[in-house]
This record gives sequence, C-alpha cells and structure tokens, in this order.
Amino acid sequence: MTEPEITPELMRISWGPQHPMSGQTRILLDTDGEKVHRIIADLGFTHRGIEKVLENRSLIGGIVPIDRMAMVDTANISIGYVTAAEKALGLEVPERANWIRSLVCEMSRINSHLYAFGLQAEATGYFPAVFLWTTIDREILLDLFEELTGARWSFNFFLPGGVYKDFPEGFADRVVEGVHYLRNRFKDYWNAMIENPMFEMRCDNVAILEPKDALRLGATGPVLRGSGIPVDMRNEEPYAAYADLDWEIITEDACDVMARTKVRFHEIGQSLNMMEQIAKEIPEGEIKTRFSPFARAPEGEHISRVENGRGEMSTHLWTNGTPNPYRVKILPPSLRNMYVFERLAELSHITVADIPVVINSIDPWYLDADR
Amino acid sequence: MSMINAAFGNANQVQQNLAGILAYIMEFLTVNARPILQVLILPGLAFTLLFAVFAVWFERKFLARAMLRVGPYYCGGRSGILQVFADFIKLFLKEIIIPSDVNWILFALSPVMVSAVPGLALVLIPFDANWIMWDIGSLGLPMFLAIMGIAPLMPVFAGWVSNNKYSLIGSWRVAYMYISGEIPLVISAAAVAIMAGSFNLVDIVESQKNMWFAIPQFIGFIVFFLGVLIESERTPFDIPVAEVELVFGWRTEFSGILFGFTMMAEYVMLQAWTLLFITLYLGGYNGPIIMGSIIGSHIFWLLTKFLILVIFIVLLRCVFPRPRMDQMLKIGWNYLTPIALLNLFLVLAMKVWGVV
Amino acid sequence: MSWIKKLLRPLGIVAPYILRNSQTVAYPTERLMFKERFRGRHQFFFERCISCGICARVCPCASIELVEAEGHEKTYPSIDYNTCSFCGYCVEFCPKQAIEFTDVVELAVDDRSTLKYSPERLSEVPDIKDLVPRMKRRTEAYLTDKEMKYRKVKDV
Repeated sequence: MTEPEITPELMRISWGPQHPMSGQTRILLDTDGEKVHRIIADLGFTHRGIEKVLENRSLIGGIVPIDRMAMVDTANISIGYVTAAEKALGLEVPERANWIRSLVCEMSRINSHLYAFGLQAEATGYFPAVFLWTTIDREILLDLFEELTGARWSFNFFLPGGVYKDFPEGFADRVVEGVHYLRNRFKDYWNAMIENPMFEMRCDNVAILEPKDALRLGATGPVLRGSGIPVDMRNEEPYAAYADLDWEIITEDACDVMARTKVRFHEIGQSLNMMEQIAKEIPEGEIKTRFSPFARAPEGEHISRVENGRGEMSTHLWTNGTPNPYRVKILPPSLRNMYVFERLAELSHITVADIPVVINSIDPWYLDADR
Repeated sequence: MSMINAAFGNANQVQQNLAGILAYIMEFLTVNARPILQVLILPGLAFTLLFAVFAVWFERKFLARAMLRVGPYYCGGRSGILQVFADFIKLFLKEIIIPSDVNWILFALSPVMVSAVPGLALVLIPFDANWIMWDIGSLGLPMFLAIMGIAPLMPVFAGWVSNNKYSLIGSWRVAYMYISGEIPLVISAAAVAIMAGSFNLVDIVESQKNMWFAIPQFIGFIVFFLGVLIESERTPFDIPVAEVELVFGWRTEFSGILFGFTMMAEYVMLQAWTLLFITLYLGGYNGPIIMGSIIGSHIFWLLTKFLILVIFIVLLRCVFPRPRMDQMLKIGWNYLTPIALLNLFLVLAMKVWGVV
Repeated sequence: MSWIKKLLRPLGIVAPYILRNSQTVAYPTERLMFKERFRGRHQFFFERCISCGICARVCPCASIELVEAEGHEKTYPSIDYNTCSFCGYCVEFCPKQAIEFTDVVELAVDDRSTLKYSPERLSEVPDIKDLVPRMKRRTEAYLTDKEMKYRKVKDV
C-alpha cells in the first residue's frame, strides 16, 4: 500500500507482523514516544480469496472452506452462508434442527469470547494465569463438539435444510454438566481478573467511544453494545431458534475498554443460560429435510445477516441456475471494527502502552477481516 | 578388635583425634581460606550462578503449575533441572547477530555491564559478623546504594546502542521508572539507618537481635518492598520489558550469549536487592542457633529467608497485571514518596522520644 | 479498607492453583480415548461398495479418485490425504456405508507421494499399538466440581 507521509516530529513504529502480540497484521503507529497521534491499519496479510473459492464449489461443498474462515467461531459464520443457501433453494428447516443449531452457535460464541478474554488478559500483562485457564476451559466445549459432530472446530455440521446428526445418548446431561462447571469457573475469573484493582487501573477510562461516534463510524458487536446501544442481529432478524428462547441484549454504559470486556463476560453467562434451556426443553422431531447434494438453485440474490462473536456478518449470495453459486460477498464484522480502531486515535488519548489493550477490546480476527 | 586398637588407638583416642581433625578443618575453612571461599562460593561466583540457575528453573516450574501444566519435564529425570543447563549451552552455541550500523564494541559490552554492576553490590552483604567479602565498616549502606544507582544507567545504554525504535522506547521507560522508584527507596533505607544508629550493615543486623525492623517500621517495609520490585524490574513492574507492547524492550537486539547475560541480569538484580531487603528489615542473618555452629546457622537463616522471599516474588508475577507508565510515575511520586517521608518522620519521633 | 481486600483477593484465588493437577495429556505415554464420531483416517469395505462414484463427485477437495484394485472387478475409491480435509461428506453420502471413520490420526510420513492411499491400503487399519509404541494407557477427561481431570480407561 502507499503509506501516508511521515510528519517530521513523530516516530513511526511498525507494530508489525513480527511481533509477539500483533496477530496477523501490521499496524503503523505515529507516536512521539508515548502518545499515539495516528493509527494506520495495514490489513491483507491473510487474504485467501475465500469468495473466489466459493465460486468453484457447489453450494454444499462451500461450507467446508467457510468453516475455516475464522477458526475460533466457526458455527456463527457457516450459519450465515447456510441460511442464505436455504433461501436460495427454498428449503424449510424443522424445529428440532433449529434448536440444535442454536445450541451449536451458542457454544461457538462462548468459545470465541473466552479466547478474546484470554487475549485481553495477556495484553494487560497478566500473562501466566488467565490465558491458559481460558484455553483449558475451551477444552470442555471442544469435547462436547467432538461428541456431537466428530470434529473439534471445523465441523461442517450445518446443511441447507437442517443439521447432519442428532444428539447421541446422554448428550443433554453432559451439556448441563459442562454448563455447571463453567459457571463455577466464571466466579474465579470475575474475582481474580475483572475485580483486580490493577486490571481496573489499566482498563478504566481508556479509549472512550461515544455512542454517536459508534453509530457514525459503523461499529458493530460488543464494541457497539459497550457504548450503550442495544443492537443485536439475533433480535433484529431472528434466525435459528432465538425467537423462542428467553434472553436479553446486554449493554453497558461506560463506553471504555472495561465496558466492552464486561459485555463479553456477561454474554458468556447469557449463552450458558441459553445452552441449559436448550438442553432441557428441546422438542422432538426430524432434523433434516430431503436435499440432494447436487441440487441447482434457481436464479436470484439472497442476503442473510447473523450475529457473530464479533458483530454482525452479512452474506450476499447470487445464484444463476448452476450447481455453483455465481458470486458470494461476505461482509465481516472485524473489518468494520478496524475502521473504528483507526479513528480512535483522534477521538481519545491513547498511549503506546494502551495499544494492545485497546486492540483486544475491539477483538478483531484478521482471518475474518481479510477473508 | 585388637587389630583396630593397634591401628587407631582405643575408642577415646579415636574420638579425640576425629574431633581435633574436624576443628582443624573448620578453622582452616573459616579463617585461613575464607577469602578464597568467599570469592568462589559464597557470596561469590558459585552462589550467583547457582541462584540464577535455580531461579530460572523454579520460576518456570512455578508458573507452569499456576497455568495448570507441567513445565520442563524430560531433561534430568522427570524434574527438568537439567533443562536450564541445556538452554545455557544452546545460548552459547547460537550465532551472535550484531546489526551492521552499531558500534560493535559497545554493543557486545553492554549486556555484560548490565549483569556485572549489580553483582558488584553483592560483595557488601554480611552473611555473618565475620563473613563479608568487602568489609568497609560504616560505609556499607551508602556504598550499596551508590553502586545500585549506577545500575539503571546500563539498560538505558544498552537500549540506545541497539539503534532500534523499540529498544529506544524501552530505555526511556527504564529511566522514568528508576527515577520514580529510587527516591522512596533511599528515604526508607535512611530511616532504617537512623533507627539502628549507624550505616554499617553488620551493626544494622546486630541491632535487630530482639525485634526485626519490619515491625515498628511496617510502612517503610511495604514501601521498600515495592521499591525492590521496581528496581529489579520484576512483574508487575516489568514495564521496560513488556513483551506484549515492545517486543522485548531494551533487550530486543541481543542474541546468543548476550541474551543470556541480559536474562541473568534480572536475577542478579533481584538477588542483590532482596538480600539488602532482608538485611535491613527482616533481621539479616539472625535466628536461633542450630547445631552449635554460629556461622553455619547464620548462613542457613539468611538463605532460608531469601528463598521464602523469592518464592513470594515469583507468586506475585502470576497475580497482578502491569500498570501503564504514567500510572507508574503517579504511584511513585504521589503515593510512595510522601509515605516514605511519613515513615522517616515517625522513626525520628520514635528515636527522639526514646521509644526504640 | 475495601481496596486492600480487593487487592489481596486475587492472591487468595490464584495461589491454590499451584496445588492442582496438571491438565495436560502426557502423549505418547498416554493417549486420549476419542469419542465415537471422531473423524480420523478412513476405512474402506470392499464388499459394500457399488462403484456409484458419489463420494468422488461430492468431495469438495477433489481428493477421491476411482481406481482399479487387484483381485476385484470394479473401480474403487482411493483417497489422497494431501488434500483431504476430513469433512465427512463421503461417509455421509455413501448409500451403502462403504467408507467409515476410524480414530487413527498418526499419518505423518517423510515422503509426500505415499500419502495417496490405494483402496487396499484404506481397507487395512493398523493397530494403534504399532503406530505409537511408547503408549501405556488410554485416558479420558471427566469433570469434577472444580477441575477437569484425566482418568485411565484402559491399560495397553
């Protein structure tokens, strides 16, 4: 990319791909030692051309690359594509399949938020304890995925018209057991990490994003809900079984890094409640409608919007009567939030030491942003 | 029986001979060969190196336990103690990469200086009334503080000579941090010297025979402990070396054995400051005499207190995140300095009115 | 005084973690017992296959190719593990259940051309004890109130 010019008094640091904490991206910081005057995000290091790859595979075969788009949060991304494909093929999903889809999506959301939590702890220097604890706690969820689908994270479990397999024997009991275990662990996280005075010192009143700025710049996900605006795709366009479950949108009013961390924390608690409700009250029924893997979709264009762990993701699908889709356009949430991150340097006072904390509170996943 | 009698004399004589040999060996070790033992073993070369090895191994195992995993396991019979030696040998055999546009003499020299200057201050710590490597009497405490005052200049120097933006930011942070942490430290040390009545480190330890100075001066105790953490750059105050922000601060450009020296510097600083902390506040080498040998039990008690304190400092690493630079300066100037001055006035008041 | 209590509470929470068991699996001495639906290496059954070719057409990575096999008349699938993504479509859409998953995951080789498995090789699954000679026991995870532990399922 052509980089903007360097002003003479400032030093340009490349928070580059060779960095222990930068992720798979390069961020250029114009700084005078401590205060950051300008942030320029240089994305594109992990562009794999997923949109082009999807044009070469059939509608059902395209679920496999889309699972690998963001590895931590697979179910919420593939459900976007599958919902769009269902609209293209005109299939209807039975009720039990919807409930199983909600269960897998919520487990995936907890997975993603736990990972973000661990990275936030590592960014504030709390390296030894919390990051590894979240990795161990994700193991419980990965074992549940393995029991239900057969793979730990790249399960291509959703199918246009339903899901692949039903619950094995005793699965609902194991889900409830896992939920109780995770609730115990979250008391530890709350006391040892969020109520830690030094963590509060690091996260309070840092990178404040006013609600009007959040709406103007197009923030999404926990970034938007941390500024007090209650927008959630599961509420706006209910897909899967979200209209039947009882849950509420979580917002915080403080607009700083701590508010976003707390939004993610409470969303995990919300997802655990939803998992328990699904495991206890799931209705009986079929799990898929008849669907041939070589079906051709009629001509048309279809949009589906789902709520990812990071925000709203929309999938726009054009089909033209061949087995492969004509064009797929995916709008990821991390790209929108990275734009907000670039403007944060002008909106509030950020120092170089704040940069990892702020990045992990916005929680971009660069594989998702670059597709 | 008769053969043994003929060879070694009867039982009484054997016992007397053995006791005589033992006393001769002890006298030789503690009086005649003392300088060599001090330089080579305690508190000289062997002690420092063994402590660095033990501290690295212990920290890795302890942190691994707090992270619910195992740590070094395969080297050295399921405890991983030889892993440290293996890493050390690996560092020796790695290539030393020197950037092309730096002054290579200063570049190669600065890590050595970073770990050597704190080691100089170790010679002043008394392990017993007669076991000090450099006994300069009543200049002990000021000399220690003077040597450790030069110690912060070395990381600043190392970061500047690396010719790298991350190292430069790291060395500025070192300068800020030492400025804010040094003054409360020196004031608390002065309060201890006032209460003991002299600057001689042996006198300070001897005057804690009845009661450790931690108890009347508990405010100074906490301030000095925080100062120890700040000066030796341990988490939660390892801001110059914050790995998540600046790749490794002022240590970024060093590789191979130079990197080994910078890692060792952290432990040598910790050793020097912790021993001074024990000497000033926790009674030094005082403790109940065991097994009749005064020197032995003094050394034993000092090392025991040292180990317990090191364990606590490693535990603190697991628990607290690190503050930002401006918050660190605020802690140092807004909170620690007035509290240290308050401590000094309290000690002066206690001394004037004859309480202690 | 409440901020002192708040400062000391993390110490009280983190310190007992040192006394807990480690939650790692000591591979290769122990090996996890995988669940029933786990997607490992494939196993092929000659007598059930009808050579319809659905597996080759539905595979999204184009890793299945129908080839001739010795001693059998029709053509049978051979899987190329260079590109297989273990998605499970061939297992799911086969009308006669001729391909199934096993739980062998030790597939590393030195030479990439040996990763193309012929139908005969697919039908013989080696024993795990031959692949991992240092293995002594199989473990699985279970949950207690406070931690996840590993317990031994069977000795090998």
